[in-house]
Amino acid sequence: MSKKDQSLLEILLNDSSFQNWAKCSNQNDIDYWDGWISKNPSKIETVYTAKSIITGIGFKKTSLPAGKINMELDAVLGQINKKNNTSVISLKTKRKTRISTYVSIAAALLIFAMVGGIWLNTSSEVVRKTGFGEIIDLKLPDGTSVVLNGNSEIKYDKNNSRAIELQGEAYFKVKPIPSTKAKFWVKTQDLKVEVYGTQFHVNTREAKTDVLLDEGSIHLVLNNGATKEMIPGEMVSFSKEKNVVTHQKVTPELPYSLWREGTYVFNNTSLKEVMKNVELSYGLEVEFIDEELQSLQLTGGIPNQNLKICLSAIEKSTGTRIVKKGNRLILFKNSNN
Amino acid sequence: MSETLETSIWQLFVEGDLNAFSTIFKTHYEALHNYGLKISGNPTLTEDCLQNFFVYLHDNRKNLSAVTQIKSYLFVSFRRSLFKLLKKERKFTTYETVFENSKDFEFSAEELMVEQEFSRIKIKTLVQLLNELSTRQREVIYLKYYSSMSTREISEVMNISYQSVQNTLQKAFTKLRTQVETQAIKRVFKIN
Repeated sequence: MSKKDQSLLEILLNDSSFQNWAKCSNQNDIDYWDGWISKNPSKIETVYTAKSIITGIGFKKTSLPAGKINMELDAVLGQINKKNNTSVISLKTKRKTRISTYVSIAAALLIFAMVGGIWLNTSSEVVRKTGFGEIIDLKLPDGTSVVLNGNSEIKYDKNNSRAIELQGEAYFKVKPIPSTKAKFWVKTQDLKVEVYGTQFHVNTREAKTDVLLDEGSIHLVLNNGATKEMIPGEMVSFSKEKNVVTHQKVTPELPYSLWREGTYVFNNTSLKEVMKNVELSYGLEVEFIDEELQSLQLTGGIPNQNLKICLSAIEKSTGTRIVKKGNRLILFKNSNN
Repeated sequence: MSETLETSIWQLFVEGDLNAFSTIFKTHYEALHNYGLKISGNPTLTEDCLQNFFVYLHDNRKNLSAVTQIKSYLFVSFRRSLFKLLKKERKFTTYETVFENSKDFEFSAEELMVEQEFSRIKIKTLVQLLNELSTRQREVIYLKYYSSMSTREISEVMNISYQSVQNTLQKAFTKLRTQVETQAIKRVFKIN
């Protein structure tokens, strides 16, 4: 192929109208290039090489079995932790300060166990943690299913998966054990949920805990000592810090648990509210440069498992620009609009 | 936009954020795994190499040069680690010989979609034609159409110039096309 043909090839490959012709996707472009070809029969070789490079070879993507990637990641993180003990320690202390209440209980238990001559194996604690925007389905040893939203963590003892500590947001489908009527507990910084077998949603973000009951019944023990009974369709919010309880019926249209399907569904929701969701599942801070953007209304579904896609969907539907700096998201008007 | 995001995720990772590290791992593991398997043909070796590669990446994160394109960076360095390992395993000495004596980047009918825009020939024939191309041509095709990389990214990964990637693609498709698309060209001439 001559130099001239080569530069023509380069031009054709980068021409969007030519790309449309190659993919047969725009009638105007098809007519134009069909005409061009009939006038330039000597270029036919280059044109068809360009066309075949654009359409290319179609591959089937092989995907790895579910859980494989997580398993490999666990192995890698295990090796990193082994090599780098300091980072493990700093992680653990960080976690402990956040749940300082339980630290004292754990310490008391440890002393008790040591006095009793029992070796308390600290590694019997199971921790499952999700990264930003990651949603995982878990099956606990007792048969209970948990869907853990992004930037969240559950913790339980290897020998008792029916007492869970939660930070972040999760949906529980508790397996009832009729023979023993064994209870299932979820502890958060604000309260304790006590159930037999039921489906419910717990969110501990924003310095309070929301519990939303889908099925069955729930007994709540708030950290101020009060107790509450819930029926399906109800939501209880309690903040230990502010000592405020709300107990209300919620309409099913509210997007409380739709994150489980990997999508946030919004129905005339303000951009401010939408960004709150993003903040919480990715552990980011949102800053509005143009304040009036906060009241923009959003309707529709936004994928929430990949920050990049999620943000670009929000940008497109609201005509804004979102720039990420460190762990801050900065929103402003898209000046191109 | 996406570049800013990538850069900040990488920045967080360099600062030691394990969440950012996990995000990078999960985003790119599958693509690297499939690429490694295509080169080595050996799942165990590929997975071991990937594990060591990610641990190494984490341990040496502070010494890594500034990264703007995570995907091509990972492909470049993983490819290097894999070749190092293969050299040891197979006692080959250079990139070319690692390739020559192996079945690297050989395609199979199961990997290709039944409906090909490229041309309406039997998949069996297409696979045969693809495998008659040089290994370098097959790797470019793999990176472009399987891993969805741009010419710029491919040139980084394979450590060849932008123009060589373009030439390799052009030669590969000219060869493929002359063998299968003579019919199509004839049709166009008839129409016009």
